[in-house]
Amino acid sequence: PPQMRGSRSKALPDRALVNCQYSMATFSTGERRRRPHGDRQASELALQLKQTFEAAILTCLYPRSQIDIYVQILQADGGEYCACVNAATLAVMDAGIPMRDYVCASSAGLAEDTPLADLSSPEEAAGGPRLVLALLPASGQIALLQLSARLHQERLEAALEAAGEACRALHAVLDRVVRERLQEVTALLGD
Amino acid sequence: LYICFRTVEPLEYYRRFLKENCRPDGRELGEFRATTVNIGSITTADGSALVKLGNTTVICGVKAELAAPAVDSANKGYIVPNVELPSLCSTRFRSGPPGEEAQAASQFIADVIENSQIIAKEDLCIANGKLAWVLYCDIICLDYDGNILDASAFALLAALKNVQLPSVTINEETGLSEVNLKQKNPLIIRKHPVATSFAIFDDTLLIVDPTAEEEDVATGTVTIVTDDEGRLCSVHKPGGSPLTGAKLQDCITRAVTRHKEVKKLIDKVIKSIKPK
Repeated sequence: PPQMRGSRSKALPDRALVNCQYSMATFSTGERRRRPHGDRQASELALQLKQTFEAAILTCLYPRSQIDIYVQILQADGGEYCACVNAATLAVMDAGIPMRDYVCASSAGLAEDTPLADLSSPEEAAGGPRLVLALLPASGQIALLQLSARLHQERLEAALEAAGEACRALHAVLDRVVRERLQEVTALLGD
Repeated sequence: LYICFRTVEPLEYYRRFLKENCRPDGRELGEFRATTVNIGSITTADGSALVKLGNTTVICGVKAELAAPAVDSANKGYIVPNVELPSLCSTRFRSGPPGEEAQAASQFIADVIENSQIIAKEDLCIANGKLAWVLYCDIICLDYDGNILDASAFALLAALKNVQLPSVTINEETGLSEVNLKQKNPLIIRKHPVATSFAIFDDTLLIVDPTAEEEDVATGTVTIVTDDEGRLCSVHKPGGSPLTGAKLQDCITRAVTRHKEVKKLIDKVIKSIKPK
């Protein structure tokens, strides 16, 4: 869960600093990972998360403070970045930090011209083109788009569409969960 | 208004409750929080368990690897526990190398494994002097609300019961090992150690299963690890206020009762996942 803390050294005078840390449990992948934090993949993903959330969180409301987002992967089966983004969105909402919109993420790929949404680990390893999309569903704005492996320009539309669909479906689920939780919490407070 | 009192003068706040023999969350002095266990949730690990003790959430994943046994104990495998208290579980932990509490917890779990002989290391040996199993037990705290030692020990026990090791044979001609992933055998668990922690207040009062807040205002802690036949495996009392012999005896009695409760819970959970 994100926590608010006063940060001494890197304080920005007009907005909050968003700090992300990404960590994988040693038992999350098929072979035991020896270094949960320091490796390149972790740093890259943490940076991507940071950039995504800096765009989504209304940081100007919290000057001179720091918002820490820690994500821990318990089991990795493809689409780790997407799961992190979705989880972090819910956590930031749970903490009551205002955001522009939900951030929903999904990966998509193409297998012989058929767009596939939400690739799992064997599908990612198959080597086809892979697209990762983080979307702010209400406005349709794209927070992050990443493409690996060669993709024909015409196919891009189809893959984007598939990812967009998945994000919108996710948005419906996340929204419902947040509302249910809100009802629970207000019911508890009301008692 | 009572929230202000709680933050400003926590000890007094607690004393008022303890005088009435109860605690702010409504529990009695000897009552544990609701315990839930979920086994086998991580499919990439060879064995896993998620334990929730009230709000304290701990997950344990066991991964088995092959290695050569040590020269001086050629027929023994290894069990390597590691407890991690990452920043996400509580504001008291900063990111970086493992802090004092994480290391102390890791050492505690290692001691429990050693003292209780939960697994005979000889069982982990495949070929004398050549090949043995190494069990890496990684315990990660997801939410810290006190009593991390009990939760970790419980998670470890549940995860080890869930571990299925593939059978390994050594090819006589090539001398290489062949792992048969299709044929899996469960680990032989010899003993079932269960930890029970108490917090000491003002040298006299003992409360069981302290929350994070209670641990902060407590003047000392005691953890007792009991075994199947009501035997004592270890008593861990890291400093803190002194305790009379009689009080310690009370703790031991309570720990034995707790052991029975925990054993029943584990057996129930294991039975419920049997049909696969």
